[in-house]
Amino acid sequence: MFQQQDSPEAIQRRLPLLAAFIILVIVILFIRLWYLQVLKGEYYHEQAESNRIRPVMLRPPRGVIYDRSGRPLVENELVFDISLIPEDAPNLDATIEKLSAVVKVTPEAIRKALEDAADVRTRYDPVKIREEAPWDEVAVVEAHQEDLPGAIIEPEHLRRYPYGGLASHQFGYIGKVSQSQRKKEQTDLGMLIGQSGLEKIYDKLLRGVAGRRMIQVNAAGRKVKDLGIEEPRPGTDIYLTIDLDAQKAAEDGLGSMAGAVVAMDPNTGEILALTSHPTYDPNLFPRGISPKDWVRLMNDPSHPMYNRAIQSVYPPGSTFKIIVSLAGLESGVIKLDDKVPCKGFLMSGRHSFRCWKKGGHGSVSFHQALVESCDVYFYTMGDRIGWDRVAEYARKLGFGSLTGILLPDEKPGLIPTTEWKKKRTGEAWYPGDTYINSIGQGYIQVSPIQACQMISVVANGGRFYRPMLLKQTRNRETGDVEVFSPEQINSVTLDPKILWEVRSALAGVVNEPGGTAHKAATPLAIVAGKTGTAQVIAQKVAGRKLSEETQDHAWFVAFAPVENPKIAVAVVVEHGGHGGSAAAPIAKKVIEEYLKNVERKTIR
Amino acid sequence: MLSERRFGNLPWGIVLLVVTIALIGLAAVYSATYTSRGPSSLFTKQVVWISVGFVIMVLALIPDYHTVGRYAYVLYAISLVLLVLVMIMGKTGMGAQRWLALGPFAFQPSELAKLSVTLALARYFAEDPKRGGYELRDLAIPGAMVLLPLLLVLKQPDLGTAMMLLLTSSLIVVLAGIHLRSVLILLVVGLVIATLVFAVSPVRHKIWGSLRPYQQNRIKAFVDPGSDPLGSGYHANQSKIAVGSGQIMGKGYRKGTQSQMAFLPERHTDFIFAVIAEETGFFGSSLLLFLYLVLLLVGVDTAKNAKDRLGTLMAGGIVSMISLYVLINVGMSVGIVPVVGVPLPLVSYGGTSVIATFLALGILLNIQTRRFMLFY
Repeated sequence: MFQQQDSPEAIQRRLPLLAAFIILVIVILFIRLWYLQVLKGEYYHEQAESNRIRPVMLRPPRGVIYDRSGRPLVENELVFDISLIPEDAPNLDATIEKLSAVVKVTPEAIRKALEDAADVRTRYDPVKIREEAPWDEVAVVEAHQEDLPGAIIEPEHLRRYPYGGLASHQFGYIGKVSQSQRKKEQTDLGMLIGQSGLEKIYDKLLRGVAGRRMIQVNAAGRKVKDLGIEEPRPGTDIYLTIDLDAQKAAEDGLGSMAGAVVAMDPNTGEILALTSHPTYDPNLFPRGISPKDWVRLMNDPSHPMYNRAIQSVYPPGSTFKIIVSLAGLESGVIKLDDKVPCKGFLMSGRHSFRCWKKGGHGSVSFHQALVESCDVYFYTMGDRIGWDRVAEYARKLGFGSLTGILLPDEKPGLIPTTEWKKKRTGEAWYPGDTYINSIGQGYIQVSPIQACQMISVVANGGRFYRPMLLKQTRNRETGDVEVFSPEQINSVTLDPKILWEVRSALAGVVNEPGGTAHKAATPLAIVAGKTGTAQVIAQKVAGRKLSEETQDHAWFVAFAPVENPKIAVAVVVEHGGHGGSAAAPIAKKVIEEYLKNVERKTIR
Repeated sequence: MLSERRFGNLPWGIVLLVVTIALIGLAAVYSATYTSRGPSSLFTKQVVWISVGFVIMVLALIPDYHTVGRYAYVLYAISLVLLVLVMIMGKTGMGAQRWLALGPFAFQPSELAKLSVTLALARYFAEDPKRGGYELRDLAIPGAMVLLPLLLVLKQPDLGTAMMLLLTSSLIVVLAGIHLRSVLILLVVGLVIATLVFAVSPVRHKIWGSLRPYQQNRIKAFVDPGSDPLGSGYHANQSKIAVGSGQIMGKGYRKGTQSQMAFLPERHTDFIFAVIAEETGFFGSSLLLFLYLVLLLVGVDTAKNAKDRLGTLMAGGIVSMISLYVLINVGMSVGIVPVVGVPLPLVSYGGTSVIATFLALGILLNIQTRRFMLFY
């Protein structure tokens, strides 16, 4: 064995060296401690006593959010708050009294603010007692620092949403970072971070880096001097794809009605407008929303925080006839010239299925059937094509799956199949199911953004783009610009001739006599579209009580100009009644506002 | 097996010493992390780490330390893999990528790397004895063994750990026995490189530029602490004030103005010694230093009484590592070493470091209990 070589003696002879090293280290540290704590202890003790250098956090301005042509949608406003650091006030009551004499806040209010903050603040955190103080108060507090130990002025970049509820479901809102978020978000308490929507999704970009201001306070708590300032670093500015004009048109169009509008550029997937009504005002949040306002928003039966454009699903109504048309023409079941007689209803067994036009359309071929939205024609064609084949085309056009927009909680909706119904209800799929689903009623559910995606695919000839919200970012310090490109995520092969027939019928819907959406016509371009009326209570059998007119949801999907599409729109108005009267005018406004100045609607 | 006889051999004094230091650390972490709403969850976590570490120390007594030696390379390989993983998918904290997420816990592979490099070097030198000391060419392999993790750690970037790796392995090489000529050559090469770095400005700029801004600032602040008392010198300065103002008897437990007022950054991890010094004064801080001194000297004794090269080198390596931890951490708190992130063993907050230290001490105890046994 290696007995000889394995002997540790050679090493052990050097061990005193290690022991000497250790003793040396400890002795050096010991001497240093003696020096600091005993010899210079008094000096450092004084330093610690007068060490009232207070780092005060300077929150950075968040990145500004612009629309596609550089108009600010979300900004920051520099305001001055008057705050109190109670630990710096040797005589807190005296400071409070003096402060309330120069600032318009009662001593009680100041005490309450301190009390409310007590649970959530760490020591030496300033407590805000007067937000957005007027200039004269700021000047007085600054000038009388000597008499107001503990009081400081805090500049804040207050987040402002100048258009109030406009596009608030896209922007989301910001709020103070919570204890539980703090670690995950790697930021300090007191920072404001995005809590929902784009403010949250792009928070890392928008947030910026906090700076700090060092103020020295003497033993009496009086601010001696500013020792220096580390400027906060502003967040990165972002440019959205939305067009302020189109967005405004969508907001104004919906007004006090509940519903949603989505508009996108069919050539890129850029979202040009996206709104959900009722809306909420994100200006409520940056200062911390009051419990009262929060409860009101949460308990509002109309759910203003809900983003109907991507989270609500509705039966698509007659807009679904576009899918049936494509399925029928592509599979060869629908021949353009085949006529179907419409007497105002279709009998199936003992049941009668009504057309929306009581007297019937007479004998109709494809073009007229889609232009006039003849229900009987599409009952018949849906039946001939076979429901599962219709469903296959619906899925090919994106229904039943997510569009991939970055905003959270998108709902996929539902495209039923015969198998689905069997599993779900245990019942077979009846011909009546085919009928009512073929006109977009029944089980089908589609979100506004899916409808917009669908009409956009019809407009661009089969390309699916991921709905895009961020066009570019610009770093305010370096001027670096990053531009984001459209992302094609899927495609569907559609015969160009068939597409042309469908588009020409959709143009007829808006422009031909008998069409259902004359209110969408505009002199600026030829609009192609399709109305829809989603029944809230299913119309099943003629003779039963029909759903109340006022309760129907109005749909309109459109694109324009028909020969060279630049914008695709989907509109839903909850309980709006007919698509042609309630939804089409909104789409028209959005299209007009966008097309008016389309040339300058890219960033410089 | 953990026989009765083994426990009989167990130096209870050392165990008591370890437990005492750990308890002092717990008390300090409690004080440093106390919030206005009561004890912090960090304290509870540290209690868990210390308990887990203690169990690991006891478990480390079960296998023969030769078994530990046998697996030293495996452990070393695992550390390397973890360091690579951290580079690929690690969490970033304080501007550096050091942590691996393990469910709710964050694991810091660089802490494990320090121990595994020590053990791997101990085994290497134990198996390859050279009469009259190692020549430079004999050091090629162990040098590579150190350099690999060192570069990975530098990439994070973690200057503290890199410094620890370099110094610990140097001490081990000296213990293992290096030829005097080699020492001289290394010194000359080191001096030449240092001169190059400082004198030739393109090289200096390249190296300086590769440092993160916070690292540059720390180095600047160490060279000239007065240069920017609010910026990087701030930490070092505040720490010195904390230590000094503790004076002889300290300000009292949880009464340290510096630590409680949050002037001290990282006060539960890197600057925990300053908290202890401020609150317990020269009395308390030198007592803690004394406890470390006794522990380390007992460790040297263990190395001296070990039966074979492996035992001696492992014990010596572990003692070197812990003494450097103490030197750098305390030195940083008292302003004689630049500010780098190195924990105070058994005291600083941090799961990986606490467990790695207990494991190291377990191995030390293992060598101690087996000093009278025959192995072949």
